[in-house]
Amino acid sequence: MTLCHPLLEVLGLTKSFGEIKAATDVSLEVWPGEVHALVGENGAGKSTLLKMIYGVYHPDAGQLVFDGHEAVVASPSDARRLGIGMVFQDLRLVPALTVAENIALAIPGGVRLRLGALRARIDEASERFGLAVDSRAWVGHLSIGERQRVEILKVLMTGARLVILDEPTSVLAPQEVEALFRVVEHLRSQDFGVVIVTHKLDEVRTIADRATVLRGGRAVLSNIVPSQHSDAELVEAMVGRSVADLQRPPARTSEPNGAAPALELAGIECASDGGHLALKAIKLAVRSGELVGIAGVAGSGQRELCEVALGLRRPRAGTVRINGTQVRSAAAALAAGAASVPEDPVADAVVSRLDVTGHMILNGRPLPARRLGIDWRKVRETTADADQRLGLRMAAPHRRVSELSGGNIQRVVLTRELSLDATLVVAAYPSRGLDIANVRRTQEILLERRDAGAGVLVVSEDLDELMGLADRILVMHDGAISGEVLPAAFDRQSIGSLMTGGAA
Amino acid sequence: MTAVVADPEAEQTPAPLLSRALPVVMRWVGTLAVALVVFSVLLLLKGASPVTAYTGIWESTFLRSRSLQEIVVQMTPLVLGALAVAVPARAGLTNVGGEGQIIMGGVGACGAFLFVGETAAPGLLLVAMLVSAMVAGAVWAGIAAAMRLVAGVNEAISTLLLNFVALDVLLFLIYQPWRESPVGQPATVELVDAAKLPFVAATRINVGIVLALVLAVVVYLALSRTRWGYKISVAGGNAEAARRAGLNVRLLVLSALMIGGALAGIAGMIQFAGVEYKLRPSFGYQLGYTSFLACWLARHQPFPILVAAFVFAALSVSGDSLQLDAGVPAASIHVLTAFILIAVLGFTASRRKAAA
Ligand SMILES: Nc1ncnc2c1ncn2[C@@H]1O[C@H](COP(=O)(O)OP(=O)(O)OP(=O)(O)O)[C@@H](O)[C@H]1O
Ligand SMILES: [Mg+2]
Repeated sequence: MTLCHPLLEVLGLTKSFGEIKAATDVSLEVWPGEVHALVGENGAGKSTLLKMIYGVYHPDAGQLVFDGHEAVVASPSDARRLGIGMVFQDLRLVPALTVAENIALAIPGGVRLRLGALRARIDEASERFGLAVDSRAWVGHLSIGERQRVEILKVLMTGARLVILDEPTSVLAPQEVEALFRVVEHLRSQDFGVVIVTHKLDEVRTIADRATVLRGGRAVLSNIVPSQHSDAELVEAMVGRSVADLQRPPARTSEPNGAAPALELAGIECASDGGHLALKAIKLAVRSGELVGIAGVAGSGQRELCEVALGLRRPRAGTVRINGTQVRSAAAALAAGAASVPEDPVADAVVSRLDVTGHMILNGRPLPARRLGIDWRKVRETTADADQRLGLRMAAPHRRVSELSGGNIQRVVLTRELSLDATLVVAAYPSRGLDIANVRRTQEILLERRDAGAGVLVVSEDLDELMGLADRILVMHDGAISGEVLPAAFDRQSIGSLMTGGAA
Repeated sequence: MTAVVADPEAEQTPAPLLSRALPVVMRWVGTLAVALVVFSVLLLLKGASPVTAYTGIWESTFLRSRSLQEIVVQMTPLVLGALAVAVPARAGLTNVGGEGQIIMGGVGACGAFLFVGETAAPGLLLVAMLVSAMVAGAVWAGIAAAMRLVAGVNEAISTLLLNFVALDVLLFLIYQPWRESPVGQPATVELVDAAKLPFVAATRINVGIVLALVLAVVVYLALSRTRWGYKISVAGGNAEAARRAGLNVRLLVLSALMIGGALAGIAGMIQFAGVEYKLRPSFGYQLGYTSFLACWLARHQPFPILVAAFVFAALSVSGDSLQLDAGVPAASIHVLTAFILIAVLGFTASRRKAAA
């Protein structure tokens, strides 16, 4: 049996937010059993387009044809009823509930909650789609990859035939990406339609049958077959010009002097939120003018390590020193000159009421004072200056950060933290959610900070990124540092084996 | 080598003021209109003419100097009570304790009067009563803040429960140590003239309204123009972001709730020294809850709070004329109030949906 019409046809969708044209006359189609990649730079309108398909936003013009019938999708529940499901860029599970309870919230059904029966259905479904999900686990204790699988399962259990994934891989480690792609292949083989947003071309090539490229709200390439286009062509279509490769950083010029290291952790033992021992006898030093990479499988203690280093989490034992000063609180770490890019900027760095300017002073430095108030003129000046120097081209100063695209939020946080005259920079997944051009620029800035004399600690699950940046890579496994690798010995294989607890 | 990144978001200008203010005005007008129409249906069902009722309300409420003055007197504690909700709300806290904090404000003012009453100079006496009321309200709210900070008790619950405790404190005082005479209604002794708030010019409006207006401006400035206001906005908007930026979130929570309590305390003092002159069991009855609704109607913004407080006070004053002119019970005005609230809720929900 072959179907003779696409599962979803998007015809000329258009949407503006006030002055901002987020999508203009975008068309594309998705057939059953097709994985369709949606690519484009930050703010290109990808999420907006998907939210229109899912009924979160109402298009100003254009229409949707689902399964051969014109569809009016006025709300997400309409979309779900039709068979469209979406996993958002920022996951929306309730951390205080279990997996089963979260799924129960989404599933139409009786008023009474039959968790037992539901759990059985969850286990059955997660088996069928190749998702390893423990229905009894607390969502708050799950890694991002696991939460994402829960979201996908939730979407599938509500009966979706078209699954929309907004940037699922930007928060995942490579192994998790592989696992996700196995799930996507499963869906493809069972004739589901999948729309997936990604910033990585190799992912487009691995998983997508067809792709659509957005730029400035317009589809510059629609329904193309990726293998018929070169990387350069695709990048050009996305950002409107070519992007050079990152130059391998020149080795550190100045040898570290006798002064105290930018960051020194000694004998750190620390518990995770869940209560188990997340850091075991950690001893590490980041010298000034050095960029140290932390590699490791997600959940090996990277989060706790960053939080301890920044005074945000109190270790059970051990000492933290920044620039020689012992640090016991966030305020102390900031006073000693720390700057940080949090792992999850939307959750940890964004205040929805504030505009871009308002976020720029949320950096732990004393607020620029003017009598009892804030010297906003000065803030605007330093903001413009920072934007100029860093070149990440933040959104306009008066824009509310809550309405920016995911990548543009990350750019605000990066500009704020990396424009500081910091002695220590702790950057967790700095290129998360950024488009190709901005990833490149962010890496350059991290190296610039290093060359300006800061100690830089970069946590990433992307080994290529770390190998391109770091003067030294420390590998974490199960809460301990399982090895140190120098540039001469950089090699995916040996780092990979350290990450899983083997020897180099 | 520097990558330059193009971005369409970089060049946008803010929307002009008019296009931002218009929706707000429309919302208010629309809300009131919907509520009035629905209420008309109800009046028709009761056999009363909506036209007579509304013209009656209009004439007797807004065209008579006496009832206008009454509206101003009644809106004064509502303004302060609503500000007492708005300040903690900025820090992400729900202060449902206006009722209790207003009572404690009255108690504080009365205590100061009884304690220093005869000895102090008149002006000083009022100041002492005001300060004592502020402290009492702040402490009362501070208890809820402390419960939250020490034991993690949600302040919406604790402030609500403290309302009942405050009422018990009031009743204890006026039945026992502060009771004027063992016979008759339990109440404290009436304030001496020096302890009563003076009137504005030749009206029956006490000077409390001046204080309320000044404080609305002060609160507006404190929230939008000071470093403290910025910090509590951050703490209220995203506590984790505040913590990461090294802000003392606990201190901010405590200060926002206690300042709210102090504002409610002032409301209690004004109600006591400007209107009631005695503490009775019914002192300040429902002021806190009405303030909460007014604040909500005004979306926690200081200047809209003035309008919302005026609307609620006008509704309450017009209740009497409704009975006289349309022949329906005065309490029906509460139905109209409820309609207004439901309409606001509907507007808020539909806006959320449109914006989501
Ligand atoms: N609710 C909103 N209100 C105002 N503007 C919005 C809103 N949502 C999105 N926008 C704007 O629309 C444009 C497109 O945003 P969108 O989130 O679709 O980008 P995106 O392609 O998903 O980018 P990213 O890769 O960074 O996630 C941006 O300029 C964004 O600021
Ligand atoms: Mg997006």
